[in-house]
Amino acid sequence: MENTMKERHLDVLKLEHVSKNFGGVVAADDICIEINPGEIFGLIGPNGAGKTTILNIIMGIYDADKGNIYLGGTDITKLPTYKRARMGIARTFQHPRLLTRCDILTNIQMGIDLTKRTQKQNVDESELRELLEAANLQDVDLSLSVGQLSYGQQKLLEIVRAVLSHPYIMLVDEPAAGLNHREMDYIVALFNIAVKKGIAVLLIEHAMDLVMGICDRITVLNFGKQIMTGTPDEVQNNDEVIAAYLGGSANAED
Amino acid sequence: MMKGTRKGNLITGRYMITLTCITIAGCFLPLVLSSYMLRVMNIALISYMCVLSVYVLLGMCGQNSFAQAGFWGVGAYITANCLLKLNLGPIVSMIIAIAGTALFAFVLGFAFFRLKQYYFTFATIGLMTIFNGLFMNWKEVTGGALGISGIPPFAIFSFEFSNETSKFFLIIFCAFVVTFLMKILFNSSLGRQFMAIRDNELAAGCMGINPLLTKSKAFAIGGALCGLGGALYAYLSGYLSFQVFTYNQSTMYLIMIMLGGTINPIGALIGTMIISLLQEFVRPLQNYMQLIYGVGIMLLMIVQPEGILGGIKALYGKYNERKTLRRSEA
Amino acid sequence: MNLQLLFSGFSTGIIYSLIAMGMVLIFRSVGIMNFAQGEFLMFGGYFCYMFNRLLDLPIGLSLILASICMGFVGVVFMRTSYWPLRHAESKAIIVSAMGASIALKEGARLIWGAVPVTVDRASEGVVNIGTAVIMKQNIAIIVIAFMVMVLIYLLLEKTFIGNIMQATAQDQYMASLTGIPVIVSIGMTFAISAMITGIGGGLLAPLFFLNNTMGTTAGAKAFAAIVIGGFGSVPGAIVGGIIVGLVEAFGGAYISSTYQLVLIYVVLFIVLMLRPQGLFGEKIQEKA
Repeated sequence: MENTMKERHLDVLKLEHVSKNFGGVVAADDICIEINPGEIFGLIGPNGAGKTTILNIIMGIYDADKGNIYLGGTDITKLPTYKRARMGIARTFQHPRLLTRCDILTNIQMGIDLTKRTQKQNVDESELRELLEAANLQDVDLSLSVGQLSYGQQKLLEIVRAVLSHPYIMLVDEPAAGLNHREMDYIVALFNIAVKKGIAVLLIEHAMDLVMGICDRITVLNFGKQIMTGTPDEVQNNDEVIAAYLGGSANAED
Repeated sequence: MMKGTRKGNLITGRYMITLTCITIAGCFLPLVLSSYMLRVMNIALISYMCVLSVYVLLGMCGQNSFAQAGFWGVGAYITANCLLKLNLGPIVSMIIAIAGTALFAFVLGFAFFRLKQYYFTFATIGLMTIFNGLFMNWKEVTGGALGISGIPPFAIFSFEFSNETSKFFLIIFCAFVVTFLMKILFNSSLGRQFMAIRDNELAAGCMGINPLLTKSKAFAIGGALCGLGGALYAYLSGYLSFQVFTYNQSTMYLIMIMLGGTINPIGALIGTMIISLLQEFVRPLQNYMQLIYGVGIMLLMIVQPEGILGGIKALYGKYNERKTLRRSEA
Repeated sequence: MNLQLLFSGFSTGIIYSLIAMGMVLIFRSVGIMNFAQGEFLMFGGYFCYMFNRLLDLPIGLSLILASICMGFVGVVFMRTSYWPLRHAESKAIIVSAMGASIALKEGARLIWGAVPVTVDRASEGVVNIGTAVIMKQNIAIIVIAFMVMVLIYLLLEKTFIGNIMQATAQDQYMASLTGIPVIVSIGMTFAISAMITGIGGGLLAPLFFLNNTMGTTAGAKAFAAIVIGGFGSVPGAIVGGIIVGLVEAFGGAYISSTYQLVLIYVVLFIVLMLRPQGLFGEKIQEKA
């Protein structure tokens, strides 16, 4: 993938002092994040910390009350969702949102369509096969309806589709929730392919072993506030983080 | 090669074979049908084109519109005016009707799709009412309550499609072409965009699809189909009256497609034919016909909410399941 | 300001409010727009005609009896055209309701004939206010409709049955877990909805003649009322209905009587464009 953006800017995605209120409830408070190309960036925090809200703000599903969002140096704060997607942000959902009444191939084609539209280039079959093999979907009949896939396979398919759209950054919302250990390995394999292509990954996840294992850097949120950003080691040894997880909402976590 | 990627050639595929068979079988109808029944068939095929517009909007894009009979009327009145007032040729008039209705629908789409789902549906009911009001009262263009009469039949060079049989061939040819185009649309990137919006508008946005523009495109394609239907209707009947282009007709389209099934154009065809022919065959029961018809629709929705085609598909799925089960047992 | 128009517009408007209210009650309960609600109005009118003209009962009693009959019609309607489809997609339910609407229309024609009929006025004569001549029927409509609305409010907000119905509307599954028989609760909603709309039919009949297709137009106006007022809001439905009635009366008198229905929808569009959620609706944020 040609990625001229990479050379000009160090960061793919930058959030500058982003805040969001929902009728008095602070969902995001002065969030500053910078994500580098090809980096796997974790976003963790107890339930209700505002993780998904931040993904939605980045995607343009919610508008930020304050602050700016930059994609490769371009201000995208005011752009609608579809324009952000065309500029190179892909998003997967906690509960997969595929074309439920269509076959698998059509769903894959959706990602390829986006690449064709934005980069005027086709996706060759070897790339598709590589991704499907990483997701262990290579033996599945692509003319089957999506409904015939298992929940885990649907989530994997959604990530495959996101990678196929050749974004600069993928926002991945709790990929491991509801998946077994083997399927989690497939997710890691897919992330590795994405990283090789220079795609950055913003990952929300509750499965700590997964997050700590693959993330380059992690931001910890609690009640919409950014507690700290650092490497997995730094995060694990930070007192404030431990307090946030153990104090109060510890039972909500694993 | 991965399993299932080879989608079958469009020309030699199952869809095309089915379509061609139906069309060829249809071409023999003039031999067996009376002139009256042929007229019924002609009108049914025109309805089919309008039902296809509902298929694009509801079946593909998930948007329920009750204004399709209005667009049908717009197409018919444009044709009549081009022919009688502007003295344009029949082919040009037809093209203007199709393009004009499509453009009109496209522009309206931008206004109407700011409203979502239920709101959109109700706004189209309003639109239909306004259409009908205009057809009834705008004397200069629609002839008001008297309507427009004396529309000449369709003609290519000097050949006039003036008798019922030649009109039938013209209409069935158009129906064949649009059904074929539906398949191309279905397999195209635009078709996938429609379906993405139908299944989840939010997720569609996250895949770079502009919901407003895409839905307006669907509305425009629906408009083009209705425009074609309207033009053919003008040539077929030679007389236009506002009493034809009504809200009731729009609900009829919805009923037709729900009866046949929204999954593909064949469903639209089945639904249209059943309803159109039913109306003829139960005519002896005149007094009770509408009642039977209403109750029939209710029963159908209860027994098979996915329509006849949906029912067949479910049966076929069960049959396949049993077959593989038996195979694995053996 | 023309007082006469004001009264006639207000009184027909409040009947649209009754239909709209019936629709909103069903919408809030099961999340489905009832496309056959206009036919309830027509049926209510015919029941009233049956008791009043064919059985020679006084109009007040006829209205009450008609309303009770409509309650049964509502339950039968719910059991046949909604309940079997409760798990189906909403478009299937809409089509089923359309089928029911055709069946009701034709049923009425077969039972009571196609010749337009009328019923007694609830109150005869006119009242003179200044130069304006106001029919007592108009005033009666407003008073009765207002009473019905108050009764419905009390029923929903102050009684046990109302609580059950509201609980079911909010979450059917939770309601069934707490021991509420969901089918009974939804049946009640449909019955009440049909009753109030049916009374509207009995009140409207003396002003316009009854025929079996009157429901469709009235239903279309009630749709407009709901959208203007705000989807799912009962006060919105009431205000929307009155707005529609007034637009109809004044537009018909001052602008054009042929474009009456068109005019209503023009108002609807203006409201929708300026305030997509309607006058009383709450803005719905899409859940991400």
